Amino acid sequence: MRGAERFSKLRSSLLSRYLLIIIAALLFLPVVLPLTTIVYDLFNRVDAEEQPKDAALYSNIKELEKLWHNEALLLQGAPPEVINQRLHELSGKYSRATVFWVDGQGMTRLTLGPAQSVQEVQGVGGPLPVHWTAAEAIAFMKQSMKREPLTIVAFVGDKAEAGEGFMVMQIPEAVLNVVLGKSISIWYGLVLLVLFIAFAVVSWLFFIGIRKRLLRLQTAMTIIGPDGMPGAIASGKPDEIGRLEEAFNTMVAELASSRRRESEEEGLRKRLVSDLSHDLRTPLTIIRSHLHVLTKEKITPQGQASLKLMDERIADLGVLIENLLSYNLLNSGRVILNRERKDVFRLLRESAAAWYPLWEKEGFEVDIDLSDKPLYWNVDEIWFRRILDNLYQNIVRHARSGCYVGISTEVRAGLRVILIADHGQGLESDSTSKGAGLGLTIVDLLLKAMELDWTMDSTQQGTSIVIFNQQQEI
Amino acid sequence: MSVTLLYIEDDREIGHVVSSDLREREYGVRWLQSGEGALEAAADSQLVILDVMLPGLDGFTVGQRLKRAYPQLPILMLSARSSIDDKLQGLEFADDYLTKPFHPDELAARIEVLLRRAGTAVSEPLALKHLIVYESDNRVVQADTGHEIRLTGKQHQIFSYLLRHLGQIMTKEQIYEAVWGEAYMEGDKTLMVHIRYLREKLELDPAVPQIIETVRGIGYRVRA
Repeated sequence: MRGAERFSKLRSSLLSRYLLIIIAALLFLPVVLPLTTIVYDLFNRVDAEEQPKDAALYSNIKELEKLWHNEALLLQGAPPEVINQRLHELSGKYSRATVFWVDGQGMTRLTLGPAQSVQEVQGVGGPLPVHWTAAEAIAFMKQSMKREPLTIVAFVGDKAEAGEGFMVMQIPEAVLNVVLGKSISIWYGLVLLVLFIAFAVVSWLFFIGIRKRLLRLQTAMTIIGPDGMPGAIASGKPDEIGRLEEAFNTMVAELASSRRRESEEEGLRKRLVSDLSHDLRTPLTIIRSHLHVLTKEKITPQGQASLKLMDERIADLGVLIENLLSYNLLNSGRVILNRERKDVFRLLRESAAAWYPLWEKEGFEVDIDLSDKPLYWNVDEIWFRRILDNLYQNIVRHARSGCYVGISTEVRAGLRVILIADHGQGLESDSTSKGAGLGLTIVDLLLKAMELDWTMDSTQQGTSIVIFNQQQEI
Repeated sequence: MSVTLLYIEDDREIGHVVSSDLREREYGVRWLQSGEGALEAAADSQLVILDVMLPGLDGFTVGQRLKRAYPQLPILMLSARSSIDDKLQGLEFADDYLTKPFHPDELAARIEVLLRRAGTAVSEPLALKHLIVYESDNRVVQADTGHEIRLTGKQHQIFSYLLRHLGQIMTKEQIYEAVWGEAYMEGDKTLMVHIRYLREKLELDPAVPQIIETVRGIGYRVRA
């Protein structure tokens, strides 16, 4: 069962298909060539049957030459009549050839063969001379070299010294061509060509098929749907690419389910944070409201001061809860910033306008010196205000002693920067409301998320925070 | 005529303390512990204070329904949830958003601002230093002489805008965009010129303005 499954896998494997093509290519020459030769031979046999019966007589030129020289040897010393008779016999057998012989004196003694052939012989080399001169003999031999027609010459007695003349057999080219089977060699070439082309086409189709499927896979992986996920693809054959497609579909499904889980978790987390915020803030609100009720009662100035302090601490707790929850969201990367090109000076002015009454109430000297020329950075407006809120909150809580807040702009190293300064005792001082620095951590996280940089210089004379944008203005 | 506030809060303790405090500040308070009946109760209320977490329909849904039914009615969301998403969702229909634990004075200040902005609290003339401002009939008079100060359209719009945001500092961009209805252009002196003329009419000594205060580096403010 497992074997059958493995075989089916092997059969459907791209690798085995590719190997099959390679093996075919390797075996092409050693296998196909002998195969075609066999086919050719078969053709030849079939063809031979279709040819005139005597065509086989002329198929082997060497045999013919051998035969002719043998006959010449046998006729050594034979009288002309015997030679004539033998040549008559041979002409009868090789009826399509022209046969003649010339005696020792150079006289043409007998010319036999189809009339047409004789004419041809005469046409090619001119009429056979009755009496051969040396020049005519040489001209004839020269003409015979061309093998059109094939001329076999043998001296009677098979040697020139015998001086008994020579005998000639001329086989017309047409007869020889039939024997050689030119048409078959064309077929042979064609079959080879077709086989080569077929091999090329099969290889090409194989790779085209693979390429097409790979491209389809690539497209499916690249195109992202409205949910930000690539869609599943219909898997085809159960080969390597098919399995890759299935693996891709599995991956997409898992990714989608993971996203869904993540989004559910995110919702759960947000809800948890909200609920936690609610559960912490509600009792604080109740306490604060009751404190307010108490302030209206007749209480000693010391009691009033305590109530005020408690109220302030509750406000601080509110801020701490806010920061804690924001930090939780920011640190888990759940916050999506909606960054836009904004004039940060305008945001600074609007934020300062909201804080101004409090600064005024606390007796702060407020020094705002921002240029009229806007400074455009790519920021999320709400979160940028949050950064400023945290910085101003720090000033009010920790730098109250300095009673100063300065918001200005400067050019430093060719960049327009924002400068927020106070005259407090610095971060190292023991402020009564010193916290865990969560506010500044949130500032750092948010500025980084908005691709802004900041530095802080804190001494006992005050703290100054510089916010700048390395990418300059946009 | 006392202003009636519709206060929707499910927490009994908070609801009790806050509504007592608001009554002491001479507001009529109708307190509901859920969104049920809010639409009917809002009909004769001038402002809604709405908690987000309510039994049954949540505060966002109740707020949206109220805003649809009474588009002019100011809604102040009061929430113990402080995430940005909540605030954004709330401010889609609410006019202001206050996070718990709030100080009752802050709540009262915001109510005052919202009522002023909605034109509800303008029935009584407003005394501003040497001026008396009748916002309902667009009149400004000298308190001692009773002499009326005539303002041009733009001057009146600027002054009204600052009065609607009484005590708040408004930046020049905010004033310009609210009055002219178009984006403020860098270096535009139009607003400054209008304010100068406005001060000449309103102030006793325009060089030392008492009514329209300049907050250096930020903007302008009219303080009560």
